[in-house]
Amino acid sequence: MTEKYEGNAVAIGILALQGAFAEHQTALQKLSLTRKIEVILVRTVEDLDRCDALIIPGGESTTIALLARLSGVLQPLRDFVLKKPVWGTCAGAILLSQTVEGAKKGGQELLGGMSISIARNGWGSQVESFEADLDVAGLRDAERPFTGIFIRAPVVLTLAPSPDDPPIEVVARLSSDLLPEGFTSEDSANDPKTFVALRQGRHLLTTFHPELTQDNRFHDYFVRVCVFPATQ
Amino acid sequence: MSTPAATTPAATTPSVQTPPVLQGAGTTNAPSTAPSRSAQREAGNSLGTFGVKSGLAQMLKGGVIMDVINAEQARIAEEAGACAVMALERVPADIRAEGGVARMSDPSMIKQIVDAVTIPVMAKVRIGHFVEAQILQSIGVDYIDESEVLTPADEEHHINKHNFKVPFVCGARNLGEALRRISEGAAFIRTKGEAGTGNVVEAVRHERAINSEIRRASVMNEEELYAFAKEIQAPFHLLKETARLKRLPVVNFAAGGIATPADAALMMQLGCDGVFVGSGIFHSGDPAKRARAIVQAVTHYNNPKILAEVSEDLGAAMVGLTIDSNLKGGKLAKRGW
Repeated sequence: MTEKYEGNAVAIGILALQGAFAEHQTALQKLSLTRKIEVILVRTVEDLDRCDALIIPGGESTTIALLARLSGVLQPLRDFVLKKPVWGTCAGAILLSQTVEGAKKGGQELLGGMSISIARNGWGSQVESFEADLDVAGLRDAERPFTGIFIRAPVVLTLAPSPDDPPIEVVARLSSDLLPEGFTSEDSANDPKTFVALRQGRHLLTTFHPELTQDNRFHDYFVRVCVFPATQ
Repeated sequence: MSTPAATTPAATTPSVQTPPVLQGAGTTNAPSTAPSRSAQREAGNSLGTFGVKSGLAQMLKGGVIMDVINAEQARIAEEAGACAVMALERVPADIRAEGGVARMSDPSMIKQIVDAVTIPVMAKVRIGHFVEAQILQSIGVDYIDESEVLTPADEEHHINKHNFKVPFVCGARNLGEALRRISEGAAFIRTKGEAGTGNVVEAVRHERAINSEIRRASVMNEEELYAFAKEIQAPFHLLKETARLKRLPVVNFAAGGIATPADAALMMQLGCDGVFVGSGIFHSGDPAKRARAIVQAVTHYNNPKILAEVSEDLGAAMVGLTIDSNLKGGKLAKRGW
């Protein structure tokens, strides 16, 4: 079987402390790729040490951060994001941000990795959760829209890369008329609040949940654009 | 796991500025079948699709949902790593002890809890009481538990949960009951267990019953599935989907009697996706420590070494009740049809 693939297997971890990690595992396993990937559910430092890249799934960001600290992986995760590709979905996107608004009382722990600030539960409670079609130019079959599932989703507030940081690319944006009330602005085309998928260097962030659909084109994108180039 | 109907192609760009409509009245002609995302899209509204309802339950997986009776307890639960809280006026153990009719909690108390925490807030309504559900939806709770712990308002009908944008979780003792609730629109199933007893035996019975019936169904041919659907009084198409997936088509938590980290890990090893802990936390000696230990036990449920560490020095567990014919408050799991 091995001659089918080029190069060594790439180990992609999924942080499996709490949340929808099994869905990411299923999506990754269905990808058809030129290189072999191995999927690792990460609960300990030993698991993390084996990974070439990491996905932080949706879940509750406060719960995931607390479990990371109690399991002794919080600092190793912070070191990991400085070196290797990481993709955060929803709660994972919050953890990858530099600063967060609407955090729990007393603040919450983040990993950093992307030069943005983000607001938790930007749309409000669960009854405001929604689905919306996204046009994403970077995906395979880009003419086919991607169904974004936004569940108590965070909202990107500002992009603040310092001169030394890699530039931030907007991978997908939401039509501005879908923004929560009070979030609309004059210059909607360049309003960060419409940005729902961002890439900075080898890091990817989505405020919605590609793992809840049967469409694995975002997983394909992460592996092709962020992971493979970083793991020659 | 896969989301039902997740392959439905996307339709037109929806608007979220839809005026609120009164939902849940028993006479409306909502779809009587299970999760249909496309049907809801045709209504020109992408809010409250089955995808976002069941999706929130998927985000709660591997987590612990804790019963709390005020904002202070809710904060303790959040700090301890709860992935959601259940707001109610009396925990099941107190409902048992005090008796009387148990109803939906005061909306002002629920709103205080919503304001105190960033994690999702759930609240309970009586079985069949769709107006309590309309009230909870209007104040913005994230999930509704149509619960046998409260006194039922209808002894024949459950709420038509398709009519709501807010998602519902319901209890079940077996596969037929679980699939009937999903058919009515529940996006999340929990075992009933026996709430307020601190005794895990009924939760184990219910989870084993569900698993055993799914295993039987998974090897049946179509003719046998028709007969089995009749036997367990489940809609055929949901039974067929369950047999194909070899699991319930929605997230399945354990509830009703979980009191220790070991109880929580037991339910996870039996195949649950997460746990509800009701009276077991705030009726114990050191709620914050016990809550945190149960949260860790659910993550590391397959690691006995970590389970041993987190089980140490937790103080007194809730006393607990044996489940027999003299059980004070009776068997709540019998409620629901």
